[in-house]
Amino acid sequence: MLNHEYPNVMRRSLLLRVADPEFGTLEKLVFRRYPDQEWATFAQFGWRETPEALVVTLASIDAPIEGDLNELVSHVAIDEQYTLRMALNAEKHRLGVGVIHSHPKGGIPLPSSIDDDMDTYYSRYFADFAPGRPYVSLILSNIDGRLVISGRAFVGNQWLVLEHTASERRPIDTWRGGRCPTAQILESDRAARLVSAFGEEALSRLRNSSVAIIGAGGTGSAAIEVLARAGIGRLVVVDPDHIDRSNLERVHGAYPKDADDSTPKVLVAARHVEAIDQSIRVEALLGRLPQSDVVDAVVTADVLLGCTDQQHSRLALSDLAFRYLLPSIDCGVVLEGKEGAITGQVAQLVRFRASDPCALCREMINSERIKQELMSDEERAERKQAAKDALERGDDPNPYWHDQPQINTVGYLTTSVGAMVAGYAIGWVTKRFDTPFERLQMNFVAKYLDVTDMAQNQRSECACGKFRGWADQASADSLISAPDHWSRVQNLSRGDAQRAK
Amino acid sequence: MNRERIERELTILRDGGQLAELVVNGEPVVLYRNVPTDGERYGLPAVTDVVVPVPSGYAAAAIDLAGLPAGSPLLPRLKGGTNVQRVVSVDGRQWQLVSYHPHNGGGGPPWDQMKHGFHTYFDHLIAWLHRIC
Repeated sequence: MLNHEYPNVMRRSLLLRVADPEFGTLEKLVFRRYPDQEWATFAQFGWRETPEALVVTLASIDAPIEGDLNELVSHVAIDEQYTLRMALNAEKHRLGVGVIHSHPKGGIPLPSSIDDDMDTYYSRYFADFAPGRPYVSLILSNIDGRLVISGRAFVGNQWLVLEHTASERRPIDTWRGGRCPTAQILESDRAARLVSAFGEEALSRLRNSSVAIIGAGGTGSAAIEVLARAGIGRLVVVDPDHIDRSNLERVHGAYPKDADDSTPKVLVAARHVEAIDQSIRVEALLGRLPQSDVVDAVVTADVLLGCTDQQHSRLALSDLAFRYLLPSIDCGVVLEGKEGAITGQVAQLVRFRASDPCALCREMINSERIKQELMSDEERAERKQAAKDALERGDDPNPYWHDQPQINTVGYLTTSVGAMVAGYAIGWVTKRFDTPFERLQMNFVAKYLDVTDMAQNQRSECACGKFRGWADQASADSLISAPDHWSRVQNLSRGDAQRAK
Repeated sequence: MNRERIERELTILRDGGQLAELVVNGEPVVLYRNVPTDGERYGLPAVTDVVVPVPSGYAAAAIDLAGLPAGSPLLPRLKGGTNVQRVVSVDGRQWQLVSYHPHNGGGGPPWDQMKHGFHTYFDHLIAWLHRIC
């Protein structure tokens, strides 16, 4: 039998990610006999094992049918037929299996001895039908109107205890081991205005949350600054580039010496955050999405922000949004005009929730541009030469190389959009407000800013509609893979600028 | 490289009787074995092995190019065959990549990673090897 104090658990953390519509369905289902009686369902989970955490993602609900659960008792009593059906089903899919049940109103999500027996039995039982996959057990409670969760997962012959739940929309409090967490003492003087607007709880949520930012240039550095000042608990900052002179016009926290020293942008960000608030944990990764070490770091974040003008990054962001249920916002700015006449200063913010269409469905990806971005330097040079040769022969050079226009931008635009996207991340993390758009575009120099929003649909054949929450189990259907020629990811969080050069 | 995806695509071909394998020692390529050609009636090989490079970031980037064994008599008779690209070493042999771009203005549909892959590229190779001039 399991011990409530989990004496044998690993100290690696378990993180749960949930999103709608599956979570909405789950909530209605397990609270079906609320407030006095429990109810349960089996579910399927995707997962990813990182060096620090097992991340499990709610992929689908295998709801009970009549007779699967005993209606005559107030606790959960699962009939053998339901268990056997789920076990045989597990032989046909590749996801993890789990049980999710409710505790009655006001009941803490502490596993009972019956729950312990069930988990001990199921963890061994499903290991026979779904070997090598995690068995997940979750308990949901409603305490004083707040949704509370506890859970554990059995994987590799060991139990991991749920430490954090990243929910796309619904606020969920995670009670480790089913026990109420100790109240934190928060230093709220600096965030007094935010607390007066959003409440003390919002500050607590910020302190216990993390945001990953892809790109620490103009927009990324502005977003990082806003999040740091708001009091976010952890930032994951990813960028492969170093500061040069042309960045000084817009990168927050960068100085001429950084251009002289060619300091990695992620180190500039880490240093700037430390100057604002030393208690914020910053993971500074010199790398790119979707490199494996980068994915390991960002899938543990609550929200992901895309702040690059790179198409591969945009595509990877939307891939993570649906496979790992990682709510993301991609942003970009472009200055339009020629010969000194500015005709447009356009910003775009695109929401990628788990059930939103991906970047391919939204037709945001230019296949030629992304191919060029992903080429090695050698292949790029070879292609340019082939295009030149084709021109000399009188042939079409485009199949070999097609010059892509340089995207121009300036600091006041990147700062404005970076701050906006950070604001929406704060709204998502605190659950205080939502993004009122799917794909927002605005022109800063047009009357009424020419604001447009575009609702788009998933294509029926696209992976984004088929593998929501499948995590690594849909890696064959990922929208993009990291090229082998990219440099290995360096984690500079504990390193220094010299090592990165 | 999305090895799982490529293997899944090659399994489709193998299930249909066409031998194809992913070779990763060196530049990753897919090696299609004994691909039929229309060469016999011109006194050229009736089958040939073909290599196709795996593009960086696949499947985000489109499959492009094709290569035949260096010195193959088919090369000068195929579309783009005289417009040589780089030589790659695969499976102990030298292969000449040539200018063949079905998904980039070369007669095929624009690249769509939800529909296309190394299994559908095989159809383009067959068409290419049957247009001998």
